[in-house]
Amino acid sequence: MAKERLVIIGGDAAGMSAASQAKRRNTDLEIVVFERSPHTSFSA
Amino acid sequence: MRVRDLQRGRVAWEAYDQLVIATGAVPICPDLPGADAVAVCGVNTLQSGIELRRILDDGGAKRGVVVGGGYIGLEMAEALVRRGLEVSLIDRSPEVMGTLDDDMGQLVSQALRDFGVTLYLEEALTGFETKGGKVTGVVTDKRSLPVDIVVLGLGVRPNTALAAAAGVPLGGKGSIRVNGRMETGMAGIWAAGDCAESFHLVSRRPFYIALGTVANRQGRVAGINLGGGYATFPGVVGTAVTKICQVEVARTGLQEKELGVLGIEWESAVIKSRTKAGYFPGAGEITVKVLAERGSGRLLGGQIVGMEGSAKRIDTLATCLHAGLTVEEMINLDLGYAPPFSPVWDPVVTAAREVVKKL
Ligand SMILES: Cc1cc2nc3c(=O)[nH]c(=O)nc-3n(C[C@H](O)[C@H](O)[C@H](O)COP(=O)(O)OP(=O)(O)OC[C@H]3O[C@@H](n4cnc5c(N)ncnc54)[C@H](O)[C@@H]3O)c2cc1C
Repeated sequence: MAKERLVIIGGDAAGMSAASQAKRRNTDLEIVVFERSPHTSFSA
Repeated sequence: MRVRDLQRGRVAWEAYDQLVIATGAVPICPDLPGADAVAVCGVNTLQSGIELRRILDDGGAKRGVVVGGGYIGLEMAEALVRRGLEVSLIDRSPEVMGTLDDDMGQLVSQALRDFGVTLYLEEALTGFETKGGKVTGVVTDKRSLPVDIVVLGLGVRPNTALAAAAGVPLGGKGSIRVNGRMETGMAGIWAAGDCAESFHLVSRRPFYIALGTVANRQGRVAGINLGGGYATFPGVVGTAVTKICQVEVARTGLQEKELGVLGIEWESAVIKSRTKAGYFPGAGEITVKVLAERGSGRLLGGQIVGMEGSAKRIDTLATCLHAGLTVEEMINLDLGYAPPFSPVWDPVVTAAREVVKKL
């Protein structure tokens, strides 16, 4: 069965918090984050 | 979902089982000619901050004007003074820091003046003067100011054009409406952070607030649910802190103008105290305002302006708001005391005691 695929738009505070929590709880999850700028997690 | 690779220009379709929209907020930009001129800067991304610093590093900028007296505008005004510029700030309100009541905001206005910032309050931006694509002046309804650099701090709005185009239901101020688990009204789509709506625990109404604190908590809740767990985001009480020049500024809960709109009747007290025991070296002034509901005495909000050691005392008030305490109950809070940290009555409790007398 294909892995469940979680896509996130925006790789800063909210997006990366969601990504890390989801991955921590379910390591089988495939997570892709799209970020427009060259930086991730730059704010808080 | 369609994605464009900005480096290679490729466009591709991406499939998802679950989607999180965490697109943040975008700065409010005035719809005025010249707003896109060189050296009219916003500071809402790391990139825009780097760009602003590059203009300053290039030298030549002597006069700076900040438009907007919120925390970002004020922090920028301070930074420009520290970079040696002659700095003015324009705001259409009677005092800076509109998230404070005017009697408390006035203390912040004064701190800026003491630091050398010229304030033009109750003035509205009406336009820009430009020459060869570069900004040379800022025009208000009362004057025209020559400038080399303009920093805009007019607030933000949720960046939800993409979500709206996809048909995701929106709430207040165009933010994405979510339930407690951070699910939107569209199956399989979640939202968190500055693009998403929140809930105000004091007014018990939907509320929009763009803060990193909230973005982290909402993102965490969405992530737990997406990872197969169960979590809910209860809401916010509107807590925010900042430091401008010498003074620390903090607020939580509802302010007078919000209470007026909600039709909630309140009593308030403003007290002056010290950040340490009065005789202790380094004790600084702290002013605390506390608002409580007339009749019930329920704490409604608080504001603090003071020297080092002031701002984080707001967390006591924020916690009391979460717990739904009355100002009467606050008097017996078992808070810590020793001379290096506070007077024997913590300033926030002193303020609560003053409100109790009026109820
Ligand atoms: C100068 C400044 C000072 C601040 N100070 C504080 C503070 O002291 N305390 C505090 O609590 N908060 C502070 N904030 C607010 C805080 O930075 C934000 O609340 C926080 O960054 C919100 O996080 P977010 O992930 O929701 O959104 P953002 O940080 O805005 O991130 C959204 C991301 O999504 C990306 N994106 C958007 N659309 C797309 C798209 N279509 N495709 C791909 N990527 C996309 C953006 O590039 C961005 O990186 C400050 C903000 C500023 C500007």
